[in-house]
Amino acid sequence: MSAGRRDVVIIGAGPNGLVAAGLLAKAGFRPLVLERRGIVGGTAVTEEIHPGFRCSMIAQSAGSMPPAIVRALDLRRHGFETIVPAVRMFAPAADGRAVLLHDDPAHTASGLAAFSRKDAEKFPQFHASMSKIGALLAPLLSTTPPDIDRPGAGDVLRFLKLGKAFRGLPKRDAWRLLRWGPMAVADFAAEWFESEPLRAVIAGRGIAGAFAGPWSAGTTAHLLLAAAADPHSGGPDGFVRGGMGRFSESLAAAARAAGAEVRTGAEVASIRVQNGAAAGVVLAGGEEIEAGAVVSSADPKSTFLRLVDPGEQDPDFLANMTNYRSTGTVAMVHFALSGLPEFRALAGEDARAALSGRIHIGTEIDELERAFDAAKYGDFSPRPYCEATIPSLTDPTLAPSGSHVMSVRAQYAPYTLKKGTWTDRRDEFARAVVQVISEHAPKFAGSILATRVLTPRDLEETYGLAGGHIFHGEHSLDQLFTMRPLLGWARYRTPIAGLYLCGSGTHPGGGIPGASGANASREIARDLKRAPRRR
Amino acid sequence: MFPGFKFSVASYVVSLLRPEIIRDLDLPRHGLEILPLDGTFTPMENGDYLWRVNDHGRTRREIARHSKVDAEAYEEYGKAMVEMGRFVKPILSMTPPDPTSLDPSGLFELLRIGRRFQKLRPDDKQNQVQLMTMSAVDFLDRWFETDVLKATMSASGIIGTFLGVRSPGTAYVLLHHYMGEIDGAFRSWGFARGGTGAISEAIAAAAREAGVEIRTEAPIAQIRVRGGRATGVVLESGEEIEAAVVSSSLDPRLTFLKMVGRKELPDEFVEDLERYKYRGSSGKVNLALDGLPEFTALPGSGAHLRGAISISPSVEYMERAYDDAKYGRFSRRPYMDVVIPSLTDPSVAPPGKHVMSCFVQYAPYHLKEGNWDDQREAFGDAVIDALAVHAPNIRERILHRQVLTPLDIERIFGLTEGNIFQGELTLEQLFFLRPAPGWAQYRTPIRGLYMCGSATHPGGGIMGAPGKNAAGVLLSDMKRRRA
Repeated sequence: MSAGRRDVVIIGAGPNGLVAAGLLAKAGFRPLVLERRGIVGGTAVTEEIHPGFRCSMIAQSAGSMPPAIVRALDLRRHGFETIVPAVRMFAPAADGRAVLLHDDPAHTASGLAAFSRKDAEKFPQFHASMSKIGALLAPLLSTTPPDIDRPGAGDVLRFLKLGKAFRGLPKRDAWRLLRWGPMAVADFAAEWFESEPLRAVIAGRGIAGAFAGPWSAGTTAHLLLAAAADPHSGGPDGFVRGGMGRFSESLAAAARAAGAEVRTGAEVASIRVQNGAAAGVVLAGGEEIEAGAVVSSADPKSTFLRLVDPGEQDPDFLANMTNYRSTGTVAMVHFALSGLPEFRALAGEDARAALSGRIHIGTEIDELERAFDAAKYGDFSPRPYCEATIPSLTDPTLAPSGSHVMSVRAQYAPYTLKKGTWTDRRDEFARAVVQVISEHAPKFAGSILATRVLTPRDLEETYGLAGGHIFHGEHSLDQLFTMRPLLGWARYRTPIAGLYLCGSGTHPGGGIPGASGANASREIARDLKRAPRRR
Repeated sequence: MFPGFKFSVASYVVSLLRPEIIRDLDLPRHGLEILPLDGTFTPMENGDYLWRVNDHGRTRREIARHSKVDAEAYEEYGKAMVEMGRFVKPILSMTPPDPTSLDPSGLFELLRIGRRFQKLRPDDKQNQVQLMTMSAVDFLDRWFETDVLKATMSASGIIGTFLGVRSPGTAYVLLHHYMGEIDGAFRSWGFARGGTGAISEAIAAAAREAGVEIRTEAPIAQIRVRGGRATGVVLESGEEIEAAVVSSSLDPRLTFLKMVGRKELPDEFVEDLERYKYRGSSGKVNLALDGLPEFTALPGSGAHLRGAISISPSVEYMERAYDDAKYGRFSRRPYMDVVIPSLTDPSVAPPGKHVMSCFVQYAPYHLKEGNWDDQREAFGDAVIDALAVHAPNIRERILHRQVLTPLDIERIFGLTEGNIFQGELTLEQLFFLRPAPGWAQYRTPIRGLYMCGSATHPGGGIMGAPGKNAAGVLLSDMKRRRA
């Protein structure tokens, strides 16, 4: 048992906590990571859902991790191995055809011609435009948002650089960027394409994980954020051999190799604050650990509303934190399958390749929007929008030979139900998911050996996500960049000296593993090196 | 319209005419008289009501009847909105800069806004940002807990938009409506004596006095362009009028695609104009009444009928009204803002009789099934049904009913797709993006042709502001040319 004082204690061993630990260790600190669960990974874990069947429980891909982090921590050496599927997205249409997004945009375009000549012609332009804008925005992901009140020289320099890059864009793209951010992703998709199944696929990226439908303004910003992490028109690649758990283990191994300590089964019950500064943490068992700095990779609401004594906090800050929006809308539904689902759209084709990436279920914009409507009134979607993966296709270690695992991110499943509770209605929701998949793969239900549902309540209770929000809070315009989690507190520091945030509730947000952790570690290292060590 | 009854056919309240315009044009002298519209009465589904009036104390007590916390918050909210209004006001009267241009003056303008933003108090900063991006309901959720209060307040966030009270971006429109001021008092609305037409007549009188000639019954068929320059207009009668400068207060679809013609315009500009969203979403129902309606929630013909009557009983009601429209139907249970101008200005109806104007949303211009000419009366019936829920005797009182669908609004007033603001007030169509990227400074790709209507910054609903801004740009261009 490690006693005594630590220079840095990090709460939570998810990708962000582990990346922060690894990078702080490399910067000469000796961070201690405390993880409540018995395994590392947070939302990036591989667990068994049925004897012999394992899958990634929440996050499905590590493809959007900034490459600089992979290099800095030498993750490949620690066992991180990505798999790039041949087809990035398979989206069955209502009429038995399917949209396929390939790695090669020209290949995608030629397939789209069956839906619309115009769309086939436009797709390469779309791909190019996404790449350009993605490349422009990518550096922002690894930038600490500027200080709004007192911009420092560095902030001004970065702003000018960004301004220069912005002005360097072709005028058309510069305007697009300004126009698109606040737009509804349905309008964005319609601006490019005319065929409904393709529009729905594009819109999916704007609403993934969001408490918003494709007609909600600002959903294009969510898409652009994702594009900054992986500008590919087909969405992110990068499944992990062994599932996301293996990715987290490689992060933990890298952190340990750099000198960090990672303890599992160590639940932090509270953060101790003395004289307005973080002094350490108290574990659920009563053990106290003193620390020079406490870094929370938990979501902002858990951190401030649960771990820190309200008496130690500024009431205005607390009030704003209470208003931070993090109502989850995602349920994960995992299936152990006796065989590969047979999609009507793939009859007589090489289904294995087509199904190896992501599978988008939602054939029209209106269908996605209707799924959201239910959530607005406190019910789950009777016909949910689903994104599925069958990781066992590319990684046979996850399921017994000939069988498969399928993981479905299903929306919308609002955290608070108006009628009944998630405990009562869990199976009903799973049936709705099976139903929409069966519309495209009629024999699907017959192949199910076991089902495991993670409702937003489970995401909160088991995985510690307040409100069950997989991104630690909505990616809405008012909760991004200099406003994530709150305006004035976007630089990983908090009103409590020595207490930092490094989770997805900080810029750049969820779905980009490690980016927040890396940014936070940079700011923390700077502070700790500058300030004389306390006591 | 109906003998003895006078309606303000399309718009119905005066709220947003900028006070400086009233002053500059000396409109009261030209006959403009604004009669205050006191309060908003919102009947609820449970038989209760919420009645807010201009008297602060009374409103506070009324809100406290629903929630004590909200009564406190209402004060703070009002103060915060005034702060926000102060911040936004100068932006409304500026010519939007071009952020993609290399011209440093544009950048400087943006920096100036940035600097003013920096000077706001932390809370106001937060409010400002959230106001620009959040939904009206999310924004109001931060202050209030009473559902009906949020519902009725959120209504001003969706007027004239094809958005719901839960759609991000609607909080901003909330502020737009807060900018309405009469004689400097924030958030007060009124009727013009003699109907809204009286405003236009007062403005016209002021303009004539200043030397303007106004010809009515002179529809323009074409804007003449030669060598990339506007040279005049051709009327539908065939009459040609040469001009050094043509300024259009019509929306860009009519101005450019109809009157100028695509071949005179750059392709990208045409593409942008085609993408510009109108999506009219409101209709109007005018009723001639035999007597006053009686609301179950508050019987009698008290002062609650003299203000606005808002049919916005709950947030869910508002949002469901939007859901219908999203899928191409008019709302079966629409949101309505109802006024009875004859109570304040008896000149508009015969003695003992009344006129009632209902602004109705949502009535989407594009219907999924059928067309507006077939659906007009069904829409009118839905409006009466929704009113009758709260005022069951309304049906017996109706002498005459006039239903204006978005198609009618387009036909009568030349508003494309019936959008009362000449294009949606969404973030991607505001400020330097209104109406098209790169063309937000009232100038157009055709030299000598200007835009001065609601499709330019700061948009519809703030009467006269685009015209005033455009006049400034036009004057400075003309001076430069003369120099």
